[in-house]
Amino acid sequence: MQYRLDLVLKPAEGALLRVIGMVERRGFVPQAIEGKPDAADGGRWHLQLVVDGQRPPETLRQQMLKVYDCESVQITALQEAAA
Amino acid sequence: MNAPTATAPRNGARWLAHALETEGVDTLFGYPGGTIMPFYDALVDSTLKHILVRHEQGAALAANGYARASGKVGVCVATSGPGASNLVTGIADAMLDSVPMICITGQVGTPLLGTDAFQELDVFGMTLPIVKHSFLVRKVDDLPNVVAEAFRIAREGRPGPVLIDMPKDVQLADASHLPDHVPAAVEPPPAPDQARLDEALAAIASAEKPVIYGGGGIALADAVGEFRQFVEATRIPTVLTLRGLGALPTGHPLLLGMLGMHGTRAANMAVQECDLLIVVGARFDDRATGKLSEFAPFARVIHLDADAYEINKLRDADIALPGNVATGLKALSAAASPCEDWRRRCSDNRARFGARYDAPGSDIYAPAMLKRLSELAPADTILACDVGQHQMWVAQHCRFEHPRNHLTSGALGTMGFGLPAAMGAQFACPERPVVLVSGDGSFMMNVQELATIARTRLPVKIVLLDNHALGMVRQWQELFFNQRFSEIDLSDNPDFAALAQVFGIPSRRIVARGEIDEALTDLLSQPGPALLHVAIDARTNVWPLVPPNHANSSMLESPPATTRQEASHAIPA
Repeated sequence: MQYRLDLVLKPAEGALLRVIGMVERRGFVPQAIEGKPDAADGGRWHLQLVVDGQRPPETLRQQMLKVYDCESVQITALQEAAA
Repeated sequence: MNAPTATAPRNGARWLAHALETEGVDTLFGYPGGTIMPFYDALVDSTLKHILVRHEQGAALAANGYARASGKVGVCVATSGPGASNLVTGIADAMLDSVPMICITGQVGTPLLGTDAFQELDVFGMTLPIVKHSFLVRKVDDLPNVVAEAFRIAREGRPGPVLIDMPKDVQLADASHLPDHVPAAVEPPPAPDQARLDEALAAIASAEKPVIYGGGGIALADAVGEFRQFVEATRIPTVLTLRGLGALPTGHPLLLGMLGMHGTRAANMAVQECDLLIVVGARFDDRATGKLSEFAPFARVIHLDADAYEINKLRDADIALPGNVATGLKALSAAASPCEDWRRRCSDNRARFGARYDAPGSDIYAPAMLKRLSELAPADTILACDVGQHQMWVAQHCRFEHPRNHLTSGALGTMGFGLPAAMGAQFACPERPVVLVSGDGSFMMNVQELATIARTRLPVKIVLLDNHALGMVRQWQELFFNQRFSEIDLSDNPDFAALAQVFGIPSRRIVARGEIDEALTDLLSQPGPALLHVAIDARTNVWPLVPPNHANSSMLESPPATTRQEASHAIPA
């Protein structure tokens, strides 16, 4: 399945590495990434990450919430991953 | 003699030392070097007790053992580069076993970051997957927030290690304008949802064959008392994980023992047959579950855990109770469980499939020797072990009155864990007996810490089981690799008794079971450190054993001899 993660990250050193690393270590493959710090939101990163994975997305969401730099995460199912 | 510098302006390093004192840190374990020298200079004027280890891995694992035994935050310190990288295994061990630690590393000055400077290493990047959180302190003004957050995160919820990487110029920067440190409050997890608790109470009341499956999260949540109250109130048969051992005292009538790969037959049978599994602070680890798809196949699952992520990770919970473990257990203690027949059957199985110690011959049979050690040692003894066969024998045959009395590297399985962890535990609990049980493979991995023990006259007692082999690997090669033994021979081990004596630690060697009682009594009565070198048979295996990727109902068992037989897979009625 393919999912889109909408993330808000603290403007902290390592925040991007932490969330991308977590996604990969937990068995999901990044397919696309887009985002930038939002000056209007205190410099927080607003990030969209599209990933493929067969594991339950809720467990990934819970794991992302354990990353201290991750202030919020929403996961939306997109489509079946290409074979 | 140290020159007085107490009147010098407070720099970043001195502010950090002050903050550690304010956080209640009394002991830290470390090794100095170039980029951490300002902090070591600050230690001269601080009340912190620094233990100079002989390798940074020893520092991380000693802080790890200190934290496990005391429940307080362990602190380790190293310089940049190799000092920092040597901490890595100890940090990873803390992460996987949820041990609260603060790991402080020196770093090259900020102008040199990213220039491949001498002993520059991106320890912040290296440790991202093995820390609960981490900080690279680029400005001295960030220190108050970093330190407060680091301690809060290390302690909060499911504990873990936090890294603070401190560039040298930040340590040297003027910090006289910074306010004194104020520790951050640690919020307990919220109580589990009441509606789900009500569902759980109803499920317990209607279950005919309930089992409680308790893990390391009980002690981490400081909920041992509540757990015991829950078990006593419901009188439900209970199994424990490796890291849950002690949550019920060994010998408790409702305790069926450890479950899983080297668990008891009574524990595994009960879980495989139960109709309700009440999981408390446990995470369905593969060593506990065996083949996951065949684990507890008839059970509905109630899962109570402080870490919401663990719920539904590997096994869906029918009733999910994320939140405060102690609060949840108190609420569940109102449950009634009318399961007398099931309780009796579990108890009968425990008696029927108890461990045997009647090994033939006069050689030392390790399980029997460890059982005797546990009987002779005071009940409040902290028993540390390393990793391998002896680790499983300790779990199977020693008694534990509290989970914090059992220091074992559960998730990472770190050979070399035992000696520094025992050292850290003894510093945390100087009035209590600390015994290390190690194996000849593990012991050599951090043997240098004998020097630290000797220097500090730390009264750690060491029981070193020596089978001249990497025993657990040998066992698996025997059972699962057609006896094709590969690189497990340690017959060229040093004379461990002589080695200890070189470090100034009294020692002796025993080879026959007739020597055990006197030798153990003598060891435990030594006023300082002492080592007992115990020769055991390399062919002795750990039984029972669930083969990898098999259901826990398929246990291999053997009488305490060299032959083995496959037990019936059927669950006796």
